Amino acid sequence: MVYSGKKASESSEPPVEPRIGVFICHCGTNIAGSLDVIAVKEYALTLPHVVVSENYAYMCSTPGQNMIHDAIEKDHLTGIVVAACTPRLHEPTFRTATANGGLNPFRFEMANIRDQGSWVHMHDWDGGTEKAKDAVRIAVAKATMLEDLYPMAVPVEHRAMVVGAGVAGIQTSMDLAKAGIETYLIEKEPTIGGRMSQLDKTFPTLDCSQCILSPKMAEAGRMPGIRLFTLAEVEAVEGYIGNFDVTIRRHARGVLTPDEAAAKGIVGGGCTGCGDCSQVCPVVRPNTWEFGMAPRKAIYIQHAQVVPLIYTIDFDACVKCGLCETACGTKKAIDLNMEDELFTVKVGTVILATGYETFPIEEKSEWGYKLYDNVISSLEFERLICASGPTIGHLVRPSDGETPMSVGFVLCAGSRDNTGIGKPYCSRFCCMYSLKHAHQVIEKIPGCKAYIFYMDIRSFGKAYEEFYYRIQHEGAKFIRGRVAQIQELPNKNLLVIAEDTLLGMPVEIEVDLVVLAAAVQPTAETEVVRRLFGVSCSADKWLLEAHPKLDPCGTTTAGVYLAGVCQGPKDIPDTVAQAEGAASAASIPIHSGQVELEPYYAQCVEKLCAGCGMCVGQCPYSALSMIVADDGRTVMTVTAAKCKGCGTCGGFCPGGAIRMQHFTSPQILAQIDAFFLGGEQ
Amino acid sequence: MSGNNHQFAFFLGCIAPNRYPGIESAAIRTGKKLGIDLVPLKGASCCPAPGAFGSIDLNVWYAMAARNLVLAEQMGMDIALICNGCYKSIWEVNHKLKHNAELRDAVNEVLKEVDMEFKGTINVYHLAELYYNDEICGLAKLKDSVNTPLTGVKVACHYGCHLLKPRKDREFAGDVIGDTEHPTWFEELVDALGAEAVEYRNKMQCCGAGGGVRGYDIAHALDITNEKLINMTDAGAEAIVDTCPFCQLQFDRGQFEIQEKFGVEWNLPVLHFCEMLGLAQGMSPVELGLDLHQISCNPFLDKINGGQ
Repeated sequence: MVYSGKKASESSEPPVEPRIGVFICHCGTNIAGSLDVIAVKEYALTLPHVVVSENYAYMCSTPGQNMIHDAIEKDHLTGIVVAACTPRLHEPTFRTATANGGLNPFRFEMANIRDQGSWVHMHDWDGGTEKAKDAVRIAVAKATMLEDLYPMAVPVEHRAMVVGAGVAGIQTSMDLAKAGIETYLIEKEPTIGGRMSQLDKTFPTLDCSQCILSPKMAEAGRMPGIRLFTLAEVEAVEGYIGNFDVTIRRHARGVLTPDEAAAKGIVGGGCTGCGDCSQVCPVVRPNTWEFGMAPRKAIYIQHAQVVPLIYTIDFDACVKCGLCETACGTKKAIDLNMEDELFTVKVGTVILATGYETFPIEEKSEWGYKLYDNVISSLEFERLICASGPTIGHLVRPSDGETPMSVGFVLCAGSRDNTGIGKPYCSRFCCMYSLKHAHQVIEKIPGCKAYIFYMDIRSFGKAYEEFYYRIQHEGAKFIRGRVAQIQELPNKNLLVIAEDTLLGMPVEIEVDLVVLAAAVQPTAETEVVRRLFGVSCSADKWLLEAHPKLDPCGTTTAGVYLAGVCQGPKDIPDTVAQAEGAASAASIPIHSGQVELEPYYAQCVEKLCAGCGMCVGQCPYSALSMIVADDGRTVMTVTAAKCKGCGTCGGFCPGGAIRMQHFTSPQILAQIDAFFLGGEQ
Repeated sequence: MSGNNHQFAFFLGCIAPNRYPGIESAAIRTGKKLGIDLVPLKGASCCPAPGAFGSIDLNVWYAMAARNLVLAEQMGMDIALICNGCYKSIWEVNHKLKHNAELRDAVNEVLKEVDMEFKGTINVYHLAELYYNDEICGLAKLKDSVNTPLTGVKVACHYGCHLLKPRKDREFAGDVIGDTEHPTWFEELVDALGAEAVEYRNKMQCCGAGGGVRGYDIAHALDITNEKLINMTDAGAEAIVDTCPFCQLQFDRGQFEIQEKFGVEWNLPVLHFCEMLGLAQGMSPVELGLDLHQISCNPFLDKINGGQ
């Protein structure tokens, strides 16, 4: 926050008599249409210490701000009250105006007469007006007691961390690294790439997903500015914006990289990705990356394009027979006794990109997922149609390996579902990928019929609607209505029972294969990471952005940003766009080199502190500790940068020794008195 | 019986005592062996039928069901019953009155005329649910009570609609109700008797009778029943087992009507679970009133244990 004003040390004695200016905003008809702003303005003039009271159509506009600026100079004001919308929206605006007028910006107080006034009492003119008067009176009472405060600047570590290495995490890390910021990229899987690497084609251009992602994965893997840690998770977080201390757990991989081998003095050693180990491994397990539709060994890579190209031992499956060690030979890459490692790094800002997983559709059991062989999920379809998948791109029915000649696509499988079992929100990319799937079966299997059971088709993006028409023209059949039930017939075919809401009648269609476009939800790890970083989430557990329109990458925790689907369902273009936005937002404090913290931290009045230490345990941010003061007594001290000004300690302190800046006891008591005693104080 | 037995007020309903008295006697006698004492709910009226009364005047439906509930409250016992329709009326009205003070007051206004007051002190259970509930009986105890296992026969389980749906707020065997699309607990009960329960298409489809369909449009109702019979026999079923006398009536009587109207002959025996349990506990077909069924149960009885 930039402002001109005297420093505390320079200020002369505060004026004996406070001089307050009150400014009432009409907010167009938002406020003036529901209460009497003129009456409020005139009432303000009757309050003690108020020397000027004005009203204006839009206080937040340039002329509105100039009124504040001019009044401070002309009327020698000591405090400003704006009665308008909310501090959340415009406190920074009016603080700046206050500072521009030459007052300390913390000499400003806001009265919320819109969100908590005219909007909620829209049809009560008199009541709304009286409530606005109360709000102004209370704000004036506090404004008379406000003090100059000065934000603290803390230095920002010139490093960033990105949690999750799907396409969002990769894009963010590369942008940060290219901007000259060393970036830790933390991924829980053995390889980066995320969900996008499991997809076959991308809509609406039908690019091969791996073809556009693999080069990015490879580049991210070798960029000097990116410190990549796969098979790693965030274990603990301490600190605050500019100075996060993040502890990372690196799970034991069982295999050394060339660098790790070199560090151990093994010349020319470490994993080269040759695969000799995997060939001899006797343990076979389902490949979870292929949704169990392909086998893998206990020492494995998930797929051919993994980054880093280092094998991984699944220690839950490994029998430690040692055959891989022998096969690895002189490279000596395998360490069957490797253990998890913990290390701590200091970073200035953090971007969360923890992605999504699909909703367990078996919970909607009327569709028979996991009950009937030939009901599959759309991600399983992606692997079955993909040239690098378990069937080398030949779509087959799981029951008998035959090529399906009719496929039913069930959209909104668990999305837009208010029954309490599914998810109420739209998963946002299923319409488009199901159109793509229909195109793929029509193109790959001559004569194959594609039935799309849909509630609405939401093809909202650039060139998306055109793609929808294209698939219609290719001959996909569209049936509008949610699927009620899927039944298995004795020949393992499936009977899809739905309502056609356009024809207004029930339909039953027999198909060889059903693909469910499952709803999506945040990954289980998202909740863990969210709590570690203190980020809020919405009711459906997606991470919550600071403002849905004006701050879509930020969070309410300073220095922590969001990218990709962990914030809410979005397709690849939107994910990448947000990732670039998050990288930009996260680089600003780092490039500024320092951030200013709001000066709302607690202070210990040492001469009142009895050293009981009760407050230390109360603090949710670990900002308080006990020290030995100059006079030898044990007293509490506040680490200002960690304090969020929540007031828990101040409210608790039995001796009244903790002073909450900007919310001091006299200030709050003045507000309470103003409310109960009216204008007489 | 011993003091450890669980006592319930037994609500009979209308179809069981009038059309299939074997279900009534089977419920009481099999229950005794499982520690479930069924004490007749004296003075009980019609439940009232959810499709008939509930479709026409809910206030009458609430009041009549509440009167039955008050009778059990006066006995100080939870209600056990053997019919899905009764379950729908009596369970649901009990639940609604317990959770809606306004409705309860309105119903009590009516009950005052007969010097009654609904207090909300009891619970309502279907007997099948008590058999499955480990705290009351449970599969192990059920299996222990079997002395002539019904081996060698395949049966199709018909759950019936009102027992499980609507899903909201329902509990089953003490837990929040599980899967209502592909439930398996009835099959587990049947397996405990030694018979083999088959999976068949459209298992959760209505029998055709419920909701007043049988009374309003018999041809339509029988069409639905006929489809269930096709699916059951396709899966190899040699008998139908149900938990609801009204479903039983529709399947049993319905096969005659299907033959009359559509000329299709099925002859698939239909048994209530209590009757099947009675057989497994060694009761004779005559004691169970199986000779009173319209479709002969003999092919099924001949097949049990390889015909011995």
